[in-house]
Amino acid sequence: MGLNFQEGRPIGLTRALLVAALAASVVLMTLYSNEGEQGPLHAVQSGAHAVLAPLGVAGSSAGALAEDAGAAAADSAASEETLTALRERNAELTQLLTQSEEYRLEAERLQGLLGLKETYQIDGVSGRVIGRSTDAWNQTVTIDVGSADGVESGLTVVGPSGVVGQVISVQPGSATVRLLSDPQSGAAAIIQSSRAEGIVRGSLSGQLTLQNLEANAEAKVGDVVLTSGLGGSYVKGLLIGTIVRIEGSAGDGSRTIYVSPNESTGALEEVMVVFDATGADVTPRQSGSSSSAASSARSSADALSDDDAGQDDAGDEG
Amino acid sequence: MEHRSLIITVVCAILAVLLQAILAPFMVIGPAVPNFILAFVIANAVARPTGGIVAPFVLGLLYDLMGNGPLGAMALVCVVFSFACSRLLMMLNNDTLFIPIVLIVAGTFLGDAVYGILMIACGMDVGALEALVGRALPCGLYDTVLALIMFPLLARLGAMGSAPLRIR
Repeated sequence: MGLNFQEGRPIGLTRALLVAALAASVVLMTLYSNEGEQGPLHAVQSGAHAVLAPLGVAGSSAGALAEDAGAAAADSAASEETLTALRERNAELTQLLTQSEEYRLEAERLQGLLGLKETYQIDGVSGRVIGRSTDAWNQTVTIDVGSADGVESGLTVVGPSGVVGQVISVQPGSATVRLLSDPQSGAAAIIQSSRAEGIVRGSLSGQLTLQNLEANAEAKVGDVVLTSGLGGSYVKGLLIGTIVRIEGSAGDGSRTIYVSPNESTGALEEVMVVFDATGADVTPRQSGSSSSAASSARSSADALSDDDAGQDDAGDEG
Repeated sequence: MEHRSLIITVVCAILAVLLQAILAPFMVIGPAVPNFILAFVIANAVARPTGGIVAPFVLGLLYDLMGNGPLGAMALVCVVFSFACSRLLMMLNNDTLFIPIVLIVAGTFLGDAVYGILMIACGMDVGALEALVGRALPCGLYDTVLALIMFPLLARLGAMGSAPLRIR
């Protein structure tokens, strides 16, 4: 006897279920793609994120528990004789040291956030990262502050040393942040030295590229890139990163400019949601040849803003 | 026995959802994030081909709700590939281990590739080559390994249910 199958239900019912499931999937996809960020299906997805947020915390705890279990397993493998009082004391001290090192690192990160807050005179609320994207196609994090703390969709999110991303959905106790490195992210940006304006976009690989720059706009490796505030999607004047590589040369329409983000999102633990940043005003100078680039970037930024209805909330801040 | 099979499916499905929600974000290898749900759906379709398409649809929808991709995309992938794998297995009616393994590998790789294509079709601004080579391929590899681990377990559990896959 080879494979043994038992057809449990009539073929007609199976076909009907298959057609219904396929139709439902296609209808859902179409509706989801055509509705805005504030649409009902997005709201349902956002609600699901709120429900799943505690599981993200459980996941973080599970990681710590796994480490503890590993240590416990190592201890149990040692012979009884070697487990002297001195070693126990040593273990306690090691644990204390580890804990204090953890506190020190956390204090450093918070100090960075505080420094950024003072530098840019940021009015905002800080939160912890409690979850990360569960799929390979989106780069998002969940933070433990939400609408109850004043967080709204579209607000800019910064880490200890620069822009991290933007809030895309909020729940009462948590919010989802789309990272700048996500392929669907786009931030209106300005090169600090030349004042050339463009759009910083993410990619699947996580690399940031500066696009929509005028062909002859001046850009060189090491230039600092800031948010320009055009389109109202991001608060202006916040640090995005520095140019690390330029493929092609000025005047070349296919020039690709790579930007290294100042903020590493991989180890991101604490962030700040920016309500307003009065000290981050870097009004772009517009003269001569840069005006058309500014206009080009502005129209792109406006398009970005239109695409993402959730960004409207941040519109007043630009 | 049918009731018992349903319970096994539900318990395993819940486990896959929990693994996806809790552990997947911490099991990232390079560009690949594991998809326990797709791996389970394909492995289950091959281990118990008469399992139906309701569970794949619900699981796919849950995956879509957990992530930030378009609702219905993973549901569509799960339904299509679980149905295709189970029907192909029944049509081929081969009692060697080769066919189930081939179906699992093809199902997971193609599932991830089609999901990537759906993401682009729904507006993700990335190149098809970058999406397929840079993301779908490593994810497919990861999910294939997971599905191949799940398959013998599900086949063994299936033997306790109503529609076992018996391989000599």
